[in-house]
Amino acid sequence: MTATSPRHASSDDPRVILDEEIGVFEPVPPYPPRTEREAEFYTLRDGEMFINLGPQHPSTHGVLRVVLKIDGENVVDLDPVLGYLHRGVEKLCENADYHHAIAYLDPLEYISSLFCEWPGVLAFEKLLDVEVPRRAEYIRVLATELNRILSHSLFMGWMALDLGGLTPILWSFIERDEIAEMLAALTGQRLLFNYLRIGGVNGDLNHDFMSRLGDWMSRATTQIEANAGLLNENEIFVRRMRGLGRIDGATALRMAFTGPNLRASGVPLDFRRAHPYSVFPELDFDIPTRDEGDCLARYLVRIDEIKQSLRIIDQCIHEMPDGPIMAKLPRLLRPRPGRAYAAVEGPRGQYAAYVVSDGTDQPFRMRIHDPSFIHLQAVGMLMQGNLIADTMAVMASLDPIMGGVDK
Amino acid sequence: MDPVLRRRLEARFGERLSGPVRQRHDETEIRIGAGDVADTIRALHDEPEFGFTFLADLAGVDTGTHMQVVYHLWSETTPDWLRVVADGLSRDDPRVPSITFLWDGAEWMEREAYDMFGITFEGNRDLRRIYMPPDYQSFPLRKDFYLADDAARSPGAGVRHMEQTHAPRNAAPAATIRRAPR
Repeated sequence: MTATSPRHASSDDPRVILDEEIGVFEPVPPYPPRTEREAEFYTLRDGEMFINLGPQHPSTHGVLRVVLKIDGENVVDLDPVLGYLHRGVEKLCENADYHHAIAYLDPLEYISSLFCEWPGVLAFEKLLDVEVPRRAEYIRVLATELNRILSHSLFMGWMALDLGGLTPILWSFIERDEIAEMLAALTGQRLLFNYLRIGGVNGDLNHDFMSRLGDWMSRATTQIEANAGLLNENEIFVRRMRGLGRIDGATALRMAFTGPNLRASGVPLDFRRAHPYSVFPELDFDIPTRDEGDCLARYLVRIDEIKQSLRIIDQCIHEMPDGPIMAKLPRLLRPRPGRAYAAVEGPRGQYAAYVVSDGTDQPFRMRIHDPSFIHLQAVGMLMQGNLIADTMAVMASLDPIMGGVDK
Repeated sequence: MDPVLRRRLEARFGERLSGPVRQRHDETEIRIGAGDVADTIRALHDEPEFGFTFLADLAGVDTGTHMQVVYHLWSETTPDWLRVVADGLSRDDPRVPSITFLWDGAEWMEREAYDMFGITFEGNRDLRRIYMPPDYQSFPLRKDFYLADDAARSPGAGVRHMEQTHAPRNAAPAATIRRAPR
Protein backbone atom coordinates (compact mmCIF):
# COMPACT_ATOMS: atom_id res chain seq x y z
CA MET A 1 0.00 0.00 0.00
CA THR A 2 1.25 3.48 -0.65
CA ALA A 3 2.40 5.12 2.56
CA THR A 4 1.32 8.69 2.98
CA SER A 5 1.73 9.13 6.71
CA PRO A 6 4.80 7.96 8.67
CA ARG A 7 2.55 6.15 11.12
CA HIS A 8 1.49 3.67 8.45
CA ALA A 9 4.95 3.30 6.93
CA SER A 10 5.98 -0.20 6.09
CA SER A 11 9.55 -1.25 6.46
CA ASP A 12 9.28 -3.10 3.16
CA ASP A 13 8.49 0.04 1.23
CA PRO A 14 11.71 1.20 -0.48
CA ARG A 15 10.70 4.86 -0.33
CA VAL A 16 10.50 4.80 3.46
CA ILE A 17 13.56 5.64 5.48
CA LEU A 18 13.21 4.67 9.12
CA ASP A 19 15.01 6.43 11.93
CA GLU A 20 15.81 3.30 13.94
CA GLU A 21 17.89 0.43 12.67
CA ILE A 22 15.94 -2.73 12.22
CA GLY A 23 17.84 -5.18 14.36
CA VAL A 24 19.39 -8.07 12.56
CA PHE A 25 19.22 -11.29 14.46
CA GLU A 26 22.68 -12.16 15.69
CA PRO A 27 23.33 -15.65 16.92
CA VAL A 28 25.88 -14.22 19.35
CA PRO A 29 24.34 -14.03 22.83
CA PRO A 30 23.87 -10.53 24.30
CA TYR A 31 25.60 -11.32 27.59
CA PRO A 32 29.29 -11.86 28.27
CA PRO A 33 30.47 -15.48 27.89
CA ARG A 34 29.87 -17.57 30.98
CA THR A 35 32.53 -20.20 30.46
CA GLU A 36 35.84 -20.52 28.67
CA ARG A 37 34.33 -22.75 26.04
CA GLU A 38 31.64 -20.17 25.32
CA ALA A 39 34.26 -17.43 25.08
CA GLU A 40 36.36 -19.52 22.75
CA PHE A 41 33.39 -20.34 20.55
CA TYR A 42 31.99 -16.84 20.24
CA THR A 43 35.25 -15.18 19.16
CA LEU A 44 35.53 -15.00 15.41
CA ARG A 45 38.75 -15.27 13.53
CA ASP A 46 39.36 -13.77 10.12
CA GLY A 47 36.85 -14.90 7.52
CA GLU A 48 34.52 -16.69 9.90
CA MET A 49 30.89 -15.93 10.57
CA PHE A 50 28.05 -17.32 12.60
CA ILE A 51 24.94 -18.83 11.11
CA ASN A 52 22.02 -20.04 13.10
CA LEU A 53 20.49 -23.45 12.44
CA GLY A 54 17.40 -22.29 14.24
CA PRO A 55 15.01 -24.24 16.40
CA GLN A 56 12.55 -24.15 13.54
CA HIS A 57 14.22 -26.31 10.94
CA PRO A 58 13.14 -29.43 9.08
CA SER A 59 16.40 -31.28 9.67
CA THR A 60 17.19 -30.81 13.30
CA HIS A 61 15.11 -33.79 14.46
CA GLY A 62 12.93 -31.64 16.64
CA VAL A 63 13.41 -28.24 18.15
CA LEU A 64 17.17 -27.93 18.32
CA ARG A 65 19.12 -24.77 17.80
CA VAL A 66 22.70 -25.06 16.60
CA VAL A 67 24.94 -22.05 16.20
CA LEU A 68 27.39 -22.83 13.40
CA LYS A 69 30.68 -21.02 13.06
CA ILE A 70 31.48 -21.24 9.38
CA ASP A 71 34.37 -20.29 7.16
CA GLY A 72 32.78 -20.21 3.74
CA GLU A 73 30.98 -23.49 3.42
CA ASN A 74 33.12 -25.31 6.00
CA VAL A 75 31.89 -25.62 9.53
CA VAL A 76 34.67 -24.70 11.92
CA ASP A 77 32.77 -25.31 15.14
CA LEU A 78 29.23 -25.60 16.41
CA ASP A 79 27.35 -25.03 19.63
CA PRO A 80 24.02 -26.77 20.18
CA VAL A 81 21.52 -24.82 22.27
CA LEU A 82 18.98 -27.08 23.94
CA GLY A 83 15.92 -26.64 26.07
CA TYR A 84 13.26 -25.75 23.52
CA LEU A 85 11.36 -28.94 24.33
CA HIS A 86 12.21 -29.14 28.03
CA ARG A 87 9.02 -30.13 29.81
CA GLY A 88 10.34 -30.84 33.27
CA VAL A 89 9.41 -34.52 33.19
CA GLU A 90 11.63 -35.41 36.13
CA LYS A 91 9.99 -32.77 38.30
CA LEU A 92 6.50 -33.78 37.19
CA CYS A 93 7.23 -37.41 38.09
CA GLU A 94 8.13 -36.33 41.63
CA ASN A 95 4.66 -34.87 42.04
CA ALA A 96 2.88 -37.86 40.54
CA ASP A 97 2.00 -41.38 41.55
CA TYR A 98 4.15 -44.31 40.46
CA HIS A 99 1.47 -45.27 37.96
CA HIS A 100 1.16 -41.73 36.58
CA ALA A 101 4.90 -41.52 36.18
CA ILE A 102 4.80 -44.23 33.50
CA ALA A 103 2.54 -42.08 31.36
CA TYR A 104 4.94 -39.15 31.80
CA LEU A 105 7.80 -41.27 30.51
CA ASP A 106 6.13 -42.01 27.16
CA PRO A 107 6.61 -38.68 25.38
CA LEU A 108 10.31 -38.55 26.12
CA GLU A 109 11.49 -40.29 22.98
CA TYR A 110 8.13 -40.39 21.37
CA ILE A 111 9.25 -42.52 18.42
CA SER A 112 10.31 -45.36 20.70
CA SER A 113 8.01 -44.72 23.62
CA LEU A 114 7.82 -48.29 24.93
CA PHE A 115 11.58 -48.13 25.49
CA CYS A 116 11.12 -44.99 27.54
CA GLU A 117 8.53 -46.62 29.77
CA TRP A 118 10.46 -49.84 30.22
CA PRO A 119 13.38 -48.74 32.44
CA GLY A 120 11.02 -46.77 34.65
CA VAL A 121 8.79 -49.81 35.06
CA LEU A 122 11.80 -52.07 35.68
CA ALA A 123 13.15 -49.75 38.37
CA PHE A 124 9.75 -49.61 40.08
CA GLU A 125 9.55 -53.40 39.96
CA LYS A 126 12.97 -53.65 41.60
CA LEU A 127 11.85 -51.35 44.39
CA LEU A 128 8.69 -53.37 44.88
CA ASP A 129 10.47 -56.74 44.43
CA VAL A 130 7.77 -57.77 41.98
CA GLU A 131 8.19 -60.68 39.64
CA VAL A 132 6.68 -60.20 36.23
CA PRO A 133 4.85 -63.22 34.74
CA ARG A 134 6.60 -64.87 31.80
CA ARG A 135 3.81 -64.21 29.36
CA ALA A 136 3.97 -60.51 30.17
CA GLU A 137 7.73 -60.53 29.61
CA TYR A 138 7.33 -62.14 26.20
CA ILE A 139 4.62 -59.65 25.25
CA ARG A 140 6.89 -56.81 26.39
CA VAL A 141 9.72 -58.08 24.20
CA LEU A 142 7.37 -58.54 21.25
CA ALA A 143 5.90 -55.05 21.52
CA THR A 144 9.25 -53.38 22.10
CA GLU A 145 10.94 -55.11 19.20
CA LEU A 146 8.10 -53.91 16.98
CA ASN A 147 8.75 -50.45 18.37
CA ARG A 148 12.43 -50.85 17.49
CA ILE A 149 11.49 -51.57 13.89
CA LEU A 150 9.21 -48.52 13.92
CA SER A 151 12.07 -46.39 15.15
CA HIS A 152 14.63 -47.71 12.72
CA SER A 153 12.27 -47.35 9.75
CA LEU A 154 11.78 -43.74 10.68
CA PHE A 155 15.54 -43.35 11.01
CA MET A 156 16.04 -44.70 7.53
CA GLY A 157 13.47 -42.39 5.99
CA TRP A 158 14.59 -39.36 7.96
CA MET A 159 18.24 -39.98 7.16
CA ALA A 160 17.47 -39.87 3.47
CA LEU A 161 15.18 -36.87 3.87
CA ASP A 162 17.93 -34.88 5.53
CA LEU A 163 20.14 -35.60 2.56
CA GLY A 164 17.45 -34.55 0.14
CA GLY A 165 15.84 -37.83 -0.85
CA LEU A 166 12.08 -37.49 -0.76
CA THR A 167 10.99 -41.04 -1.58
CA PRO A 168 12.42 -43.14 1.28
CA ILE A 169 10.55 -41.20 3.95
CA LEU A 170 7.25 -42.02 2.29
CA TRP A 171 8.17 -45.69 1.99
CA SER A 172 9.26 -45.78 5.60
CA PHE A 173 5.97 -44.24 6.70
CA ILE A 174 4.06 -46.89 4.78
CA GLU A 175 6.09 -49.46 6.71
CA ARG A 176 5.50 -47.63 9.99
CA ASP A 177 1.81 -47.26 9.35
CA GLU A 178 1.26 -51.01 9.22
CA ILE A 179 3.14 -51.54 12.46
CA ALA A 180 1.46 -48.56 14.12
CA GLU A 181 -1.97 -49.98 13.26
CA MET A 182 -0.86 -53.32 14.65
CA LEU A 183 0.27 -51.77 17.90
CA ALA A 184 -2.92 -49.71 18.02
CA ALA A 185 -4.85 -52.97 17.97
CA LEU A 186 -2.74 -54.17 20.89
CA THR A 187 -2.30 -51.07 23.01
CA GLY A 188 -4.94 -48.65 21.80
CA GLN A 189 -2.45 -46.04 20.64
CA ARG A 190 -0.40 -45.44 17.54
CA LEU A 191 2.49 -43.44 18.96
CA LEU A 192 2.56 -42.93 22.72
CA PHE A 193 1.58 -46.40 23.77
CA ASN A 194 1.35 -46.23 27.59
CA TYR A 195 1.23 -50.00 27.51
CA LEU A 196 3.68 -51.23 30.13
CA ARG A 197 2.45 -51.43 33.69
CA ILE A 198 4.20 -52.18 36.95
CA GLY A 199 4.14 -55.95 37.04
CA GLY A 200 3.15 -56.61 33.46
CA VAL A 201 1.38 -55.09 30.50
CA ASN A 202 -1.99 -53.48 30.04
CA GLY A 203 -3.82 -55.84 27.73
CA ASP A 204 -3.36 -59.32 26.38
CA LEU A 205 -2.72 -60.22 22.76
CA ASN A 206 -5.95 -60.17 20.80
CA HIS A 207 -7.10 -61.61 17.52
CA ASP A 208 -6.85 -58.34 15.61
CA PHE A 209 -3.24 -57.83 16.63
CA MET A 210 -2.18 -61.41 15.96
CA SER A 211 -3.75 -61.52 12.52
CA ARG A 212 -2.16 -58.24 11.51
CA LEU A 213 1.15 -59.38 12.92
CA GLY A 214 1.09 -62.70 11.10
CA ASP A 215 0.11 -60.99 7.89
CA TRP A 216 2.89 -58.42 8.18
CA MET A 217 5.55 -60.93 9.20
CA SER A 218 5.01 -62.91 6.04
CA ARG A 219 5.93 -59.85 3.99
CA ALA A 220 8.27 -58.07 6.38
CA THR A 221 11.62 -59.33 5.19
CA THR A 222 11.06 -58.58 1.53
CA GLN A 223 9.56 -55.20 2.39
CA ILE A 224 12.57 -54.20 4.46
CA GLU A 225 14.94 -55.45 1.79
CA ALA A 226 13.10 -53.30 -0.74
CA ASN A 227 13.19 -50.23 1.48
CA ALA A 228 16.86 -50.63 2.29
CA GLY A 229 17.62 -51.38 -1.33
CA LEU A 230 16.49 -47.88 -2.25
CA LEU A 231 19.43 -46.45 -0.40
CA ASN A 232 22.11 -49.04 0.19
CA GLU A 233 23.49 -48.88 -3.29
CA ASN A 234 22.42 -45.40 -4.23
CA GLU A 235 25.59 -43.69 -5.37
CA ILE A 236 24.72 -40.25 -4.04
CA PHE A 237 23.74 -41.62 -0.65
CA VAL A 238 26.84 -43.76 -0.28
CA ARG A 239 29.26 -41.13 -1.46
CA ARG A 240 27.80 -38.55 0.88
CA MET A 241 27.84 -40.83 3.88
CA ARG A 242 30.95 -42.93 3.50
CA GLY A 243 33.86 -41.61 5.53
CA LEU A 244 31.78 -38.81 7.08
CA GLY A 245 31.77 -38.31 10.83
CA ARG A 246 34.17 -41.14 11.55
CA ILE A 247 34.50 -42.02 15.19
CA ASP A 248 36.62 -44.85 16.51
CA GLY A 249 35.73 -47.23 19.34
CA ALA A 250 37.87 -45.70 22.08
CA THR A 251 36.56 -42.20 21.40
CA ALA A 252 33.02 -43.50 21.30
CA LEU A 253 33.45 -45.01 24.77
CA ARG A 254 34.92 -41.74 26.02
CA MET A 255 31.87 -39.93 24.69
CA ALA A 256 29.64 -42.40 26.63
CA PHE A 257 28.02 -43.58 23.42
CA THR A 258 25.66 -46.53 23.48
CA GLY A 259 23.56 -48.45 21.04
CA PRO A 260 24.01 -48.58 17.26
CA ASN A 261 26.32 -45.55 17.31
CA LEU A 262 28.74 -47.46 19.51
CA ARG A 263 28.36 -50.75 17.65
CA ALA A 264 29.05 -49.02 14.32
CA SER A 265 32.42 -47.99 15.77
CA GLY A 266 33.44 -51.55 16.48
CA VAL A 267 32.47 -51.95 20.15
CA PRO A 268 30.03 -54.89 20.38
CA LEU A 269 28.22 -53.67 23.49
CA ASP A 270 24.51 -54.48 23.59
CA PHE A 271 22.80 -54.53 26.96
CA ARG A 272 20.46 -57.28 25.90
CA ARG A 273 23.53 -59.52 25.97
CA ALA A 274 25.94 -57.69 28.25
CA HIS A 275 23.52 -57.12 31.11
CA PRO A 276 20.49 -59.24 30.23
CA TYR A 277 17.04 -58.31 31.46
CA SER A 278 13.59 -59.72 30.78
CA VAL A 279 13.67 -62.94 28.70
CA PHE A 280 16.58 -62.05 26.44
CA PRO A 281 18.80 -64.86 27.80
CA GLU A 282 16.36 -67.30 26.19
CA LEU A 283 16.20 -65.63 22.80
CA ASP A 284 18.58 -66.21 19.95
CA PHE A 285 19.80 -63.16 18.03
CA ASP A 286 23.03 -61.59 16.81
CA ILE A 287 24.49 -58.19 17.53
CA PRO A 288 25.40 -56.44 14.28
CA THR A 289 28.65 -54.56 14.55
CA ARG A 290 30.70 -52.63 12.04
CA ASP A 291 34.20 -51.22 12.24
CA GLU A 292 34.22 -48.13 10.09
CA GLY A 293 32.41 -45.80 12.47
CA ASP A 294 31.22 -43.45 9.76
CA CYS A 295 27.66 -42.37 8.92
CA LEU A 296 27.21 -45.21 6.47
CA ALA A 297 28.20 -47.77 9.11
CA ARG A 298 25.68 -46.31 11.56
CA TYR A 299 22.99 -46.57 8.91
CA LEU A 300 23.86 -50.15 7.95
CA VAL A 301 23.99 -51.29 11.59
CA ARG A 302 20.42 -50.13 12.08
CA ILE A 303 19.23 -51.91 8.94
CA ASP A 304 20.86 -55.10 10.23
CA GLU A 305 19.19 -54.58 13.59
CA ILE A 306 15.78 -54.54 11.94
CA LYS A 307 16.50 -58.02 10.62
CA GLN A 308 17.55 -59.22 14.06
CA SER A 309 14.38 -57.74 15.53
CA LEU A 310 12.36 -59.78 13.07
CA ARG A 311 14.11 -62.91 14.35
CA ILE A 312 13.27 -62.00 17.92
CA ILE A 313 9.63 -61.30 17.08
CA ASP A 314 9.41 -64.65 15.32
CA GLN A 315 10.73 -66.45 18.39
CA CYS A 316 8.37 -64.55 20.68
CA ILE A 317 5.36 -65.54 18.62
CA HIS A 318 6.31 -69.20 18.59
CA GLU A 319 7.42 -69.48 22.20
CA MET A 320 4.73 -67.32 23.79
CA PRO A 321 3.83 -68.99 27.10
CA ASP A 322 0.39 -68.98 28.65
CA GLY A 323 -0.42 -67.33 31.91
CA PRO A 324 -1.34 -64.02 33.45
CA ILE A 325 -0.19 -60.73 31.99
CA MET A 326 0.00 -58.77 35.24
CA ALA A 327 1.41 -59.59 38.63
CA LYS A 328 -0.97 -59.25 41.55
CA LEU A 329 -0.29 -55.87 43.11
CA PRO A 330 -2.28 -53.50 45.30
CA ARG A 331 -3.51 -50.35 43.64
CA LEU A 332 -1.79 -48.08 46.15
CA LEU A 333 1.88 -48.85 45.70
CA ARG A 334 4.37 -47.96 48.41
CA PRO A 335 7.78 -49.34 47.54
CA ARG A 336 10.47 -49.81 50.15
CA PRO A 337 12.69 -46.77 50.72
CA GLY A 338 15.77 -47.20 48.59
CA ARG A 339 17.30 -46.72 45.19
CA ALA A 340 17.04 -48.68 41.96
CA TYR A 341 18.66 -48.35 38.56
CA ALA A 342 17.41 -50.13 35.46
CA ALA A 343 18.63 -49.89 31.88
CA VAL A 344 17.36 -51.30 28.61
CA GLU A 345 18.81 -51.41 25.12
CA GLY A 346 16.67 -49.16 22.98
CA PRO A 347 16.96 -48.26 19.32
CA ARG A 348 19.13 -45.27 20.15
CA GLY A 349 21.17 -46.76 22.93
CA GLN A 350 20.90 -47.20 26.65
CA TYR A 351 17.70 -45.86 28.16
CA ALA A 352 17.89 -45.92 31.93
CA ALA A 353 16.02 -44.80 34.99
CA TYR A 354 17.37 -44.19 38.49
CA VAL A 355 14.59 -44.02 41.02
CA VAL A 356 14.98 -42.96 44.63
CA SER A 357 12.04 -43.97 46.77
CA ASP A 358 11.20 -42.60 50.23
CA GLY A 359 8.51 -45.10 51.08
CA THR A 360 5.58 -42.99 49.90
CA ASP A 361 3.47 -43.52 46.80
CA GLN A 362 5.37 -40.83 44.85
CA PRO A 363 8.91 -41.21 43.54
CA PHE A 364 11.33 -39.04 45.50
CA ARG A 365 13.65 -38.63 42.51
CA MET A 366 13.04 -39.96 39.04
CA ARG A 367 16.18 -39.58 36.99
CA ILE A 368 15.85 -40.42 33.30
CA HIS A 369 18.95 -41.16 31.32
CA ASP A 370 18.57 -40.65 27.64
CA PRO A 371 20.98 -41.69 24.89
CA SER A 372 20.19 -38.94 22.38
CA PHE A 373 21.34 -36.36 24.92
CA ILE A 374 24.75 -38.00 25.10
CA HIS A 375 25.13 -38.49 21.37
CA LEU A 376 24.35 -34.89 20.51
CA GLN A 377 27.48 -33.79 22.32
CA ALA A 378 29.57 -35.52 19.71
CA VAL A 379 28.27 -33.54 16.75
CA GLY A 380 30.71 -30.70 17.38
CA MET A 381 33.62 -33.08 17.47
CA LEU A 382 32.56 -34.85 14.29
CA MET A 383 31.97 -31.73 12.26
CA GLN A 384 35.51 -30.39 12.05
CA GLY A 385 36.20 -29.23 8.55
CA ASN A 386 33.01 -30.57 7.02
CA LEU A 387 30.45 -28.71 4.97
CA ILE A 388 27.23 -27.24 6.31
CA ALA A 389 25.17 -29.82 4.48
CA ASP A 390 27.13 -32.55 6.24
CA THR A 391 25.89 -31.26 9.59
CA MET A 392 22.48 -32.67 8.72
CA ALA A 393 23.98 -35.98 7.65
CA VAL A 394 26.00 -36.34 10.83
CA MET A 395 23.14 -35.36 13.12
CA ALA A 396 20.73 -37.66 11.33
CA SER A 397 23.16 -40.58 11.54
CA LEU A 398 23.41 -40.17 15.30
CA ASP A 399 19.60 -40.39 15.39
CA PRO A 400 18.67 -37.96 18.16
CA ILE A 401 15.09 -37.35 19.19
CA MET A 402 14.70 -33.97 20.83
CA GLY A 403 11.98 -35.12 23.18
CA GLY A 404 14.56 -37.28 24.87
CA VAL A 405 17.38 -34.78 24.62
CA ASP A 406 15.36 -32.06 26.30
CA LYS A 407 13.24 -34.24 28.58
CA MET B 1 24.64 -59.26 43.77
CA ASP B 2 28.28 -59.94 43.20
CA PRO B 3 30.17 -60.82 46.42
CA VAL B 4 33.52 -60.74 44.61
CA LEU B 5 32.95 -57.12 43.63
CA ARG B 6 31.96 -56.21 47.17
CA ARG B 7 35.13 -57.75 48.60
CA ARG B 8 37.29 -55.97 46.05
CA LEU B 9 35.65 -52.62 46.73
CA GLU B 10 36.00 -53.00 50.49
CA ALA B 11 39.63 -54.02 50.13
CA ARG B 12 40.59 -51.21 47.79
CA PHE B 13 38.50 -48.30 49.05
CA GLY B 14 37.68 -49.41 52.59
CA GLU B 15 38.64 -46.24 54.43
CA ARG B 16 37.00 -43.90 51.90
CA LEU B 17 33.57 -45.52 51.98
CA SER B 18 31.11 -43.84 54.30
CA GLY B 19 29.03 -46.90 55.04
CA PRO B 20 28.97 -50.53 53.96
CA VAL B 21 28.86 -51.65 50.35
CA ARG B 22 25.16 -52.23 49.71
CA GLN B 23 23.89 -54.71 47.19
CA ARG B 24 20.38 -55.39 45.99
CA HIS B 25 19.19 -57.18 42.86
CA ASP B 26 21.88 -56.46 40.27
CA GLU B 27 23.29 -53.26 41.75
CA THR B 28 26.23 -52.53 44.05
CA GLU B 29 26.37 -49.17 45.77
CA ILE B 30 29.22 -47.35 47.46
CA ARG B 31 29.12 -43.96 49.14
CA ILE B 32 32.08 -41.63 49.21
CA GLY B 33 32.68 -38.00 50.06
CA ALA B 34 32.71 -35.31 47.40
CA GLY B 35 36.47 -34.79 47.59
CA ASP B 36 37.23 -38.44 46.84
CA VAL B 37 35.27 -38.56 43.61
CA ALA B 38 38.09 -37.91 41.16
CA ASP B 39 40.52 -40.44 42.71
CA THR B 40 37.94 -43.14 43.26
CA ILE B 41 36.43 -43.00 39.81
CA ARG B 42 39.83 -42.80 38.18
CA ALA B 43 40.86 -45.91 40.10
CA LEU B 44 37.69 -47.70 39.09
CA HIS B 45 38.31 -46.70 35.47
CA ASP B 46 42.02 -47.44 35.18
CA GLU B 47 42.69 -50.44 37.36
CA PRO B 48 42.26 -53.69 35.42
CA GLU B 49 40.62 -55.61 38.27
CA PHE B 50 37.76 -53.10 38.19
CA GLY B 51 37.71 -51.89 34.59
CA PHE B 52 34.69 -49.59 34.85
CA THR B 53 35.27 -47.93 31.52
CA PHE B 54 31.65 -47.33 30.71
CA LEU B 55 29.84 -44.38 32.25
CA ALA B 56 26.16 -45.21 32.24
CA ASP B 57 24.73 -42.18 34.04
CA LEU B 58 25.59 -39.12 36.07
CA ALA B 59 22.78 -37.58 38.09
CA GLY B 60 22.25 -35.05 40.84
CA VAL B 61 19.93 -35.78 43.75
CA ASP B 62 18.57 -33.36 46.34
CA THR B 63 17.73 -35.29 49.47
CA GLY B 64 16.21 -32.30 51.25
CA THR B 65 19.03 -32.05 53.76
CA HIS B 66 22.00 -32.25 51.41
CA MET B 67 22.85 -32.95 47.79
CA GLN B 68 24.36 -35.98 46.12
CA VAL B 69 25.90 -36.76 42.77
CA VAL B 70 25.26 -40.34 41.68
CA TYR B 71 27.40 -42.10 39.08
CA HIS B 72 26.46 -45.39 37.47
CA LEU B 73 29.29 -47.39 35.96
CA TRP B 74 29.50 -50.67 34.12
CA SER B 75 32.36 -53.08 33.64
CA GLU B 76 32.87 -56.38 31.90
CA THR B 77 34.42 -57.85 35.05
CA THR B 78 31.17 -57.98 37.00
CA PRO B 79 27.50 -58.64 36.24
CA ASP B 80 26.42 -55.80 38.56
CA TRP B 81 25.89 -52.10 37.95
CA LEU B 82 28.13 -50.05 40.21
CA ARG B 83 26.57 -46.99 41.79
CA VAL B 84 28.97 -44.43 43.26
CA VAL B 85 27.17 -41.90 45.44
CA ALA B 86 29.12 -38.76 46.25
CA ASP B 87 27.26 -37.84 49.38
CA GLY B 88 27.18 -34.93 51.77
CA LEU B 89 27.33 -31.97 49.40
CA SER B 90 26.01 -28.88 51.15
CA ARG B 91 22.85 -27.34 49.79
CA ASP B 92 24.31 -23.84 49.82
CA ASP B 93 27.36 -24.45 47.66
CA PRO B 94 27.51 -28.00 46.33
CA ARG B 95 30.84 -28.67 44.64
CA VAL B 96 32.29 -31.88 43.31
CA PRO B 97 35.24 -32.60 40.97
CA SER B 98 34.36 -33.10 37.34
CA ILE B 99 35.00 -36.43 35.65
CA THR B 100 35.27 -34.96 32.16
CA PHE B 101 38.94 -35.89 32.23
CA LEU B 102 37.87 -39.53 31.96
CA TRP B 103 34.75 -39.25 29.80
CA ASP B 104 34.11 -36.34 27.46
CA GLY B 105 30.50 -37.43 27.39
CA ALA B 106 30.12 -36.44 31.04
CA GLU B 107 30.29 -32.76 30.10
CA TRP B 108 26.64 -32.35 29.21
CA MET B 109 25.49 -34.63 32.03
CA GLU B 110 27.33 -32.36 34.48
CA ARG B 111 25.87 -29.30 32.79
CA GLU B 112 22.41 -30.75 33.35
CA ALA B 113 23.13 -31.45 37.03
CA TYR B 114 24.36 -27.88 37.36
CA ASP B 115 21.31 -26.48 35.61
CA MET B 116 18.82 -28.48 37.64
CA PHE B 117 20.51 -28.40 41.08
CA GLY B 118 23.23 -25.76 41.08
CA ILE B 119 26.01 -28.30 41.70
CA THR B 120 29.35 -26.90 40.55
CA PHE B 121 31.61 -29.41 38.83
CA GLU B 122 35.16 -28.19 39.25
CA GLY B 123 37.12 -28.79 36.10
CA ASN B 124 34.24 -28.83 33.64
CA ARG B 125 35.21 -26.40 30.88
CA ASP B 126 31.67 -25.61 29.88
CA LEU B 127 29.56 -25.38 33.01
CA ARG B 128 26.63 -23.30 31.85
CA ARG B 129 22.91 -23.90 31.78
CA ILE B 130 21.72 -26.39 29.24
CA TYR B 131 17.93 -26.54 29.44
CA MET B 132 16.86 -23.33 31.13
CA PRO B 133 17.43 -19.91 29.56
CA PRO B 134 20.78 -18.31 30.43
CA ASP B 135 19.25 -15.66 32.68
CA TYR B 136 17.23 -18.12 34.78
CA GLN B 137 17.77 -17.63 38.48
CA SER B 138 16.53 -20.82 40.15
CA PHE B 139 17.49 -24.47 40.07
CA PRO B 140 14.32 -26.35 39.19
CA LEU B 141 14.90 -29.86 40.55
CA ARG B 142 15.78 -28.67 44.04
CA LYS B 143 13.27 -29.63 46.67
CA ASP B 144 12.59 -26.01 47.58
CA PHE B 145 11.37 -25.24 44.05
CA TYR B 146 7.68 -25.82 43.78
CA LEU B 147 5.46 -26.54 40.81
CA ALA B 148 1.99 -25.14 40.93
CA ASP B 149 -0.07 -28.26 40.74
CA ASP B 150 -3.42 -27.17 42.01
CA ALA B 151 -5.69 -24.23 41.34
CA ALA B 152 -5.03 -22.54 44.65
CA ARG B 153 -1.44 -22.13 43.65
CA SER B 154 -2.00 -21.30 39.99
CA PRO B 155 -1.42 -18.01 38.13
CA GLY B 156 -5.19 -17.49 38.32
CA ALA B 157 -4.82 -17.12 42.05
CA GLY B 158 -2.01 -14.62 41.61
CA VAL B 159 0.84 -17.07 42.15
CA ARG B 160 3.91 -16.53 39.95
CA HIS B 161 4.61 -20.18 39.37
CA MET B 162 7.53 -20.09 36.98
CA GLU B 163 10.13 -19.28 39.61
CA GLN B 164 8.48 -20.01 42.87
CA THR B 165 11.03 -20.69 45.57
CA HIS B 166 8.89 -20.28 48.64
CA ALA B 167 6.62 -22.86 50.18
CA PRO B 168 2.95 -22.97 49.19
CA ARG B 169 1.04 -20.35 51.18
CA ASN B 170 -1.53 -22.73 52.59
CA ALA B 171 0.79 -25.60 53.53
CA ALA B 172 2.19 -26.45 56.92
CA PRO B 173 5.79 -25.21 57.01
CA ALA B 174 7.40 -28.35 58.41
CA ALA B 175 6.04 -30.66 55.78
CA THR B 176 7.09 -28.68 52.73
CA ILE B 177 10.52 -30.06 51.93
CA ARG B 178 10.55 -33.79 51.30
CA ARG B 179 13.50 -35.49 52.84
CA ALA B 180 14.95 -38.77 51.70
CA PRO B 181 15.50 -41.61 54.14
CA ARG B 182 19.03 -42.88 54.66
